[in-house]
Amino acid sequence: MMTAQKFPAPAVGVDGLFLRLELEAFNAEYARVLDDGDLRQWPAFFTDDATYVVTARENYDANLPVGLIYCEGKGMMEDRALAIRETAMFAPRYLRHYITNLLVEPVKDGGTIHATANYLVLETLLDNPEAHIHQTGRYIDRFVRVDGALRLKQRHCVYDNLMVPTSLVLPI
Amino acid sequence: MKWHRAAMAEAVEEGGVIAVDIDGTPVALYRLDGSVYATHNVCTHQFALLSDGYLEDGCIECPLHQGRFDVRTGKALCAPVSEGIRTYAVRVEGGVIFVSLDAPVSSDVSVADVASPAAAASADHARRSSDAGGERFVILGAGQAGGRAAEALRAAGFAGEVVLVGEEPVPPYERPPLSKEILTGKAGVESCALLAEPRWRELDIVLRLSTRAARIDTTAHVVALSDGSILPYGKLLVATGARARRLAVPGADLPGVHYLRTQADGLGLRNALRSGARLVVIGGGFIGLEVASSACDLGCAVTVVEQEARILNRILPAAAGDAIAERAAEAGVRLLTGARVTALEGTAAVEVVRLADGRRLEADIVVIGIGVIPNQELAVEAGIAAADGILVDEYGQTSAPDVFAAGDVAVYPYLVRGRRLRLESWHNAQEQAIAAARSMAGHLAPYRGTPWFWSDQFGANLQMIGLPQLTDLVACRSDLGGSSALFFMSESRLTGVIAFDDPEAIRLGRRLIESGASVDPVRLAERRTQSGATSTAPTHAAPRMDSEPMDLEPKGRGDETMISLQQPADSRSDGRSPSQAYVWPEEGLVRVPDWVYTDEEIYRREVERIFHGRTWNYVALEAEIPNSGDFTRSFLGPTPIVVTRAEDGSIHVFENRCAHRAAEFCRSLRGNAKEFVCPYHQWSYDLRGNLVGVPFRRGVDNKGGMPKDFSTADHGLRKLTVTTRRGVVFASYAEDMEPLENYLGPDILREFDATFDGRKLKVLGYYRNTVPGNWKLYHENLKDPYHATLLHTFLVTFGLLVAGNKSAMMCDATGRHGVMASAKSEGGGVDADRRKEMRAYREGMTLKEPRLIDYVEEFDSPWSVTMQTIWPNLIVQRELNTLGVRQIVPQGPNSFVMNWTMFGFEGDSDEMIRHRLRQGNLMGPAGFLGLEDNEAMKFVQDGMLRCPEGRHLVALDPDTEAGSSDTLISEAAIRAMYKHWRQELGL
Repeated sequence: MMTAQKFPAPAVGVDGLFLRLELEAFNAEYARVLDDGDLRQWPAFFTDDATYVVTARENYDANLPVGLIYCEGKGMMEDRALAIRETAMFAPRYLRHYITNLLVEPVKDGGTIHATANYLVLETLLDNPEAHIHQTGRYIDRFVRVDGALRLKQRHCVYDNLMVPTSLVLPI
Repeated sequence: MKWHRAAMAEAVEEGGVIAVDIDGTPVALYRLDGSVYATHNVCTHQFALLSDGYLEDGCIECPLHQGRFDVRTGKALCAPVSEGIRTYAVRVEGGVIFVSLDAPVSSDVSVADVASPAAAASADHARRSSDAGGERFVILGAGQAGGRAAEALRAAGFAGEVVLVGEEPVPPYERPPLSKEILTGKAGVESCALLAEPRWRELDIVLRLSTRAARIDTTAHVVALSDGSILPYGKLLVATGARARRLAVPGADLPGVHYLRTQADGLGLRNALRSGARLVVIGGGFIGLEVASSACDLGCAVTVVEQEARILNRILPAAAGDAIAERAAEAGVRLLTGARVTALEGTAAVEVVRLADGRRLEADIVVIGIGVIPNQELAVEAGIAAADGILVDEYGQTSAPDVFAAGDVAVYPYLVRGRRLRLESWHNAQEQAIAAARSMAGHLAPYRGTPWFWSDQFGANLQMIGLPQLTDLVACRSDLGGSSALFFMSESRLTGVIAFDDPEAIRLGRRLIESGASVDPVRLAERRTQSGATSTAPTHAAPRMDSEPMDLEPKGRGDETMISLQQPADSRSDGRSPSQAYVWPEEGLVRVPDWVYTDEEIYRREVERIFHGRTWNYVALEAEIPNSGDFTRSFLGPTPIVVTRAEDGSIHVFENRCAHRAAEFCRSLRGNAKEFVCPYHQWSYDLRGNLVGVPFRRGVDNKGGMPKDFSTADHGLRKLTVTTRRGVVFASYAEDMEPLENYLGPDILREFDATFDGRKLKVLGYYRNTVPGNWKLYHENLKDPYHATLLHTFLVTFGLLVAGNKSAMMCDATGRHGVMASAKSEGGGVDADRRKEMRAYREGMTLKEPRLIDYVEEFDSPWSVTMQTIWPNLIVQRELNTLGVRQIVPQGPNSFVMNWTMFGFEGDSDEMIRHRLRQGNLMGPAGFLGLEDNEAMKFVQDGMLRCPEGRHLVALDPDTEAGSSDTLISEAAIRAMYKHWRQELGL
């Protein structure tokens, strides 16, 4: 189950607080890019060998490997960004990401930062007056520093809601 | 050995059991043939006290699930218990029972929190049966129901005041003769009285006639009457019946236009009917036909106008309706079906009935019989729950305390089909009212009335009992004497009988329906062999009952009491009449009307005739339930089901609905279980869906419990037929389905086997999404190769599908299944020239990760992509190396859920699994192709819902009317599907 993955203690101290602020700023910027809808910038949040997977909690809990989106390497993310921008047909929409409850594990040897955060993604279709909850779930992240800047080596988006409403067009 | 004082010896009677507590250990003491025995008192299966159970033949039966233990040895004797119960040594000395607990007790359960189950069970009953004497009971409505209820209150011993309030100026009378003997003048109104006038006085019932209730106040327990008086009541019965539905066309209020509901209506019509008069009857239901029959007897020239394609279309199978139509025609009645009345015309009185097609029918008299509307307004205004009638429970109680309802106005739960019914029949009005009256008087007896209708017309007697459905199995019998009967069956139980001049069949039917006994269709059809030549043709009616021939030669009138038959409650709310409005466009299959995709009635028929009809439906992969006890929740059509693997490895499918109170008991997506226990009342079922245990089945202290003749064998879960092929599990509501291989046909089977090639499947995970579109749009999407290159520009942009790729769109012989197939360019990689061509198409666009569209050849098939549509709920996806089964779960006409189970094979390397997962980006609700299909289907449904009443154009490829085509610019496969669909739905 998701709760089985424990964080021994949150990162503390001045360094811990600073890291936390950095990660929060990272997530806020990540949300801004997706909410603005400019997919070209999205792969830049990842390392070249990163994995990005969006999957239902149903699969995650049962150790089933599929992803609704399953990207191995930044190249696949760039392909997705291109394909969605240039070839995909879908009803116009806005997304709004809310990322909260950031949990950060103390940094281990090797400098990989393990963190999780809850997310809520609201989707507004332009022919509907109201937004609806598109996904609610958790990011399970691994960050590393590339030239001093934080980059995602892994972002697994595990959503609680069993059903995807119609389609998942833009990344989570 | 330490002995504990347990109880006085006389506390345990011969053949009895008591509970005692010994140092915190719950112990049961039994006396058998004079000797006392002791066991632990908690069942080894689930938490229940054996002392609440049933002692018989030296065995204690657990009250919860009927596990049995030998009290002398503790041995477990039958399922569901497998572990024996601990026994203890006993000695009796000086009138005292001593028990030794020296042998350790295996269970450590405390019984401190167990409440006596007896108390709660009887409390409600006691409250409801409190003495009602000295109160005033008021009955609103003085018809068949109200009159019989008043009489029954006295018969049940109610001694208080009974007030019967009726709108008509006459005491209660029987309505059936109004359309027959009263019209023909063979009887006078006095012969219709329910009771002779003095009888009301003898029964001391206050009749308040020409009076109606204006308001009910359920809180104050008073009724305000139309004469201004206020009538307090202790208990109230609403038996306000129904009123004739009015025809809403110009001129419907002209003199000469009649309805028939009340005695005054009947007398008015009798005075108007005279020999030679031209009568037009609007509505070919039972009332209309009975009037037509009587008017013929009087020498009138009768025309019956029915807007549906057949008379009695909503009640009877076509053959039965046609037989009556034939009798009517012989009697000289002109039947105009499919004819809608638009106006009644005349100056001083009605002269002409005008039809929608322009015809004008000259008329001296018009009778309108288009059904009735329940008189529920009073109850609704009082806040009493109602939905096309006042809702009552099996005791006739409404949602308001002390308020009951019965008769035409009441909707009651009918056990056999598990449905709520509102019946408009003489029989129901009488029996339901009597049951409600008994409940009011404190004698609680549930009303379990089996629906029974009766009609006499054109010399034939027609009866119907039970609740036959179009999907039931039908056995037909008829003899040379002219009588005939149709027996309807579901799960080998009789659900209904329709009989012409065959009251014996109705009596037999009533007995079999009410006993719930298993029946053999062949024997039913043969039962009456002594009457000469007998047709013995048990046949399966589904999906079209009316396809069955019925040999009907109605003979003379039977001598039973005349009972009127009216149309059953019409649950349709949109006012659209099926066969009138659902007319397929004249152009044929090249036009598909919107109602195919948006109409609730069409959807209801689809569930009944397609998903619950003679189809194989995908329900699971065997790889999801590899071990005994494994289960997974699934759906068959919209219906939730559970798929299990039993101890012997066999696979079982049953409805996820407790046989007791309908609870959808299995809530986990999947898991492993030894049994299923409904959480509501702990009814337990084995892995095959058989009912194993019913808590307190035998009651407690010899009180309560199930009826003596209750048999668990009769109350299992609804089980479905199962078949598997190559690890794929299918189920069907039909019990005698053809083999899957025949169902698929050779071409589809070949492609099915190409994907499921014998390797063991390995589930990689699930996608689930909703689509706001009709479920058939998904089939059409995959029978529509035209869209592939147009909608999915990804395919063209990145070279998966280019002009010149080999492709095919195949259908099976019936048109319901299909395979869309294409072959990637030679060699499995993207052809260099083609790629150049594509780059030219979209400058600068190439995949950074071209492995996405690699094809690793692994199938014995010329195709690199096949999409199989297997009717009605399965898509098998083989898109290069990403494999999946997609299950369609319809959610009404306007949306469905798609459940995707993605799989690979045992023995796949890690890299092969990852290849499948990477390629998964093409499909699913986030797939480059999959998301576009979902969006497009939403657009289609939006278009139909927002610009309604249109028709689709499905005309591509006129050289192929319907079926497989050798061009991709074709919609012939969609037309093939609708050819089949129309047959299935009878449209």
